[in-house]
Amino acid sequence: MSTELATPAATKTALIAAEALSKSFGDVQVLSGIDLAIHPQEVVCMIGPSGSGKTTLLRCLALLETPSLGCVRMEGQIISQPDQTRAVKKAAQSMGRDIGMVFQHFNLWPHMTVLQNIIEAPVRVRKTPRAKAVAEAESLLEKVGLSDKRDVYPARLSGGQQQRVAIARALAMRPKVLLFDEATSALDPELKREVLLVMRALAGEGMTMVVVTHEMGFARNVGTRIVFMDEGAIVEEGAPRAFFETPQTDRAKRFLRQFED
Amino acid sequence: MGGYRFRWDVIPANLEFLLSGLQQTLYISSITLVLAMIGGMIIALLDMSRFLPFRMIGVAWGELIRNTPILVQLLWIYYVLPMALGININAWTALVIGLSVYSSAFIAEAYRAGIQAVPVGHREAARVLGMSSTQTLFRIVLPQAVRMTLPPLAANFVQLIKFSSLGAVISVGEITRRGMELSASIFRPLEVFTFIAIVYFVICWPLAMAIRAWERRLARR
Ligand SMILES: Nc1ncnc2c1ncn2[C@@H]1O[C@H](COP(=O)(O)OP(=O)(O)O)[C@@H](O)[C@H]1O
Repeated sequence: MSTELATPAATKTALIAAEALSKSFGDVQVLSGIDLAIHPQEVVCMIGPSGSGKTTLLRCLALLETPSLGCVRMEGQIISQPDQTRAVKKAAQSMGRDIGMVFQHFNLWPHMTVLQNIIEAPVRVRKTPRAKAVAEAESLLEKVGLSDKRDVYPARLSGGQQQRVAIARALAMRPKVLLFDEATSALDPELKREVLLVMRALAGEGMTMVVVTHEMGFARNVGTRIVFMDEGAIVEEGAPRAFFETPQTDRAKRFLRQFED
Repeated sequence: MGGYRFRWDVIPANLEFLLSGLQQTLYISSITLVLAMIGGMIIALLDMSRFLPFRMIGVAWGELIRNTPILVQLLWIYYVLPMALGININAWTALVIGLSVYSSAFIAEAYRAGIQAVPVGHREAARVLGMSSTQTLFRIVLPQAVRMTLPPLAANFVQLIKFSSLGAVISVGEITRRGMELSASIFRPLEVFTFIAIVYFVICWPLAMAIRAWERRLARR
């Protein structure tokens, strides 16, 4: 393997980390003993065959799933573990806000306008004064190139536009880490590009990102680290160039072969 | 039916009497709708409770109401309940209670369907953004669920207008009862009941059409 797997010692200094994390749904074990530490300003791209557990791992980091074994740490503190004690729940509530997530199917709230979607959480959760939240939302919309859609309902937007709004909505909470769950998989090829460009710009600004993706070009050019998963485990990880040019494991080689023309 | 001579003039001659019955019909249906909306909320909350005994009460209640005839329920409330509780319940109150209880079971179902129609992802998005479950319920789930619930509520109102005619059996003076009384005194059942059927139809049919159009519009979103 090209780089050392994260050790528990490393997870304590990480921004967010999975530590010996396993997850089962009933009898089906989906993740087994995952150690993954994400450090500030990293863009970690998770790739692997479908069904290998990438989404489930991301959902564990987003606190949408509870691990069956092991834990999730944020800045050293446990924010999720099988036994959700009061202390863990409290940590999850205060630190969980710093984790943002962008979903495959956008999940914008259809009864709210673009602006309302973006300011909802800052106003209600962070208690940001409304005027300030609106001003911030407007600058975020400018950043994702949708200033003119401020007062439109999501149903009137294309998939690519909806996803860019979803990114703006996540950014409005000023997350320390942004998780992308196959953010472009549901989009037509020409719409994928506009979303990938926004993601690329974010990476350029130093946003810490964990990206589950099938876009090998993005992983290679924008990622700072590749994590290759198969059958619920991290099989190989390393720098993008090394991973794509000289994959070490047979499984990674086999996986990459399907992207060759 | 050859040779029968229609006497439609009996209708205008007794219009005031019949329309006072219609007024009662609409009054009873409206009050009942409001009560059933509240009752439905309670049953839906019981159904969706995290506490098993509450859930069982909610489910049992719904099953009981949906699987006995409404007329039997009405008769039971009118004749049995007062004896069991040792109180007096007049026919009007019995009708309103009976229809409310009956409708509440169906309205609870509509609420639940409305809430379940909100995609899980919308809730997950709220949760990741740090919103509490109460905030998520009131800001994200209910505003969407309510819109889904309005057509079934209107459909329930149409049901109530029709079912309130059962009040005639326990002599509540709604329009069907008024018709029975009138036809008994002037021996013109054909004109009277035809007129009453038309009145029900003229009220219920446009409502039903509007609801269908409304549902189609919701489905398209
Ligand atoms: N809620 C769930 N209940 C049962 N099985 C699940 C659930 N979520 C995911 N799985 C299973 O876990 C496995 C991994 O899924 P997933 O994490 O989505 O993989 P990937 O993102 O790599 O495609 C799949 O076999 C999937 O069927």
